[in-house]
Amino acid sequence: MLILELISCSRQACYDNTNALMNTSLLASGTGHDTSSVSLIVKGITPTDTVDFVDTKSDSHFSVPLDPGNDVTTFYIVLNGVTDTAVITYDREPHLVSAECGYTFVSELTGLTTTHNIIDTLMIIDNSVNLNGKRNLHLFF
Amino acid sequence: MAKGTCICFFSLFLLLGSRVMSQDTVMVPLHVRTGFDLSGPVMHLISKNLASYGVLASVDINQNLSVNAGARYTSFSSAVYNYSFQSHGTSFVIGPDYNYIKPKVGLGRYFAGFGFRYGLSFYSQEATGIKYTNSWGEGVSSFPLSHHIGHFLEFTPGVRAELFRGVTIGWNLYLRVLVSSGAGHDLKPVWMPGYGDATSGIATGAEYYVSFSIPYKKIRVIIKPKPVSTDEDNEEGVENPSTTPSSVMGGRL
Repeated sequence: MLILELISCSRQACYDNTNALMNTSLLASGTGHDTSSVSLIVKGITPTDTVDFVDTKSDSHFSVPLDPGNDVTTFYIVLNGVTDTAVITYDREPHLVSAECGYTFVSELTGLTTTHNIIDTLMIIDNSVNLNGKRNLHLFF
Repeated sequence: MAKGTCICFFSLFLLLGSRVMSQDTVMVPLHVRTGFDLSGPVMHLISKNLASYGVLASVDINQNLSVNAGARYTSFSSAVYNYSFQSHGTSFVIGPDYNYIKPKVGLGRYFAGFGFRYGLSFYSQEATGIKYTNSWGEGVSSFPLSHHIGHFLEFTPGVRAELFRGVTIGWNLYLRVLVSSGAGHDLKPVWMPGYGDATSGIATGAEYYVSFSIPYKKIRVIIKPKPVSTDEDNEEGVENPSTTPSSVMGGRL
């Protein structure tokens, strides 16, 4: 009995994904078909600095984490050399991944605004930013 | 003289009757039991994180079936590198036990069988010092004390034996299935009192009980039904209670 209990109580290493990401698909404005960028840079903006998340030549989607310390995150999205700014608002909640991994933060998107230098439309498809890997935003350009 | 002779014959008749019955039946005492779990305090000596104290009461319905009800207080705390978690609460279980030991062998003193329980857990949980590290940097957060009601089902195979008159010991394994933690998908408790690790849908373990039993009734259990009476017997109008459907059924139970 004690062996069974000790086994059940022993701490294991964390092997689970703990990083909740906001997933965005790039779509061609007008047709709505999946498309790829020529170049793509995504940076997060903090009051004092920027955080580099994506810097790729060609991609049809990107994933970035929301700031777990704030209810608003601002991103610079440099698409094919043209810069837009997207402001994402959300509600945060801790989420227990496992006893071994502890908690991460998941978010419910409540709104977004964007400039329209190259972005035609940025729309919420699924407002739950969690660990399931589903697409959250569609970016038309 | 005549009166004494009559009493003597009447007594012999009763003795004869009981001898006939004793060939096919056995008297089984039905008990009321109340006891406590030893595994919780023992585990608390080994692991200071978990304190769990359980009591259990049961009533025999017949030679095979008993109804159990239990209560357990649990307090759990855990402090690991990226969070601290505390939960405490009281859980209740209720359900039947089925004894597979034949009445002739068990005689109300032994149990080997299984039970099903429905469990209800009234608990509180909170987490402090939730540390996170990602591309945005590091931070610390928490969620405050919140109260929940969880539900679970329990399957408990086990054994029990009377150690002394009125004192019973027994242990059982348990397989618990979480129905609902009551705290939502995101804040499932690391430890739900009465259930265990609620991040898993199944919890297993063992319990060891010492209980005190009081017989409250004796029942006559038919252990070997008499042969079905012949047509000739029926024609003669002989009534045999042991051949009625209800008594045969009672023998199996």
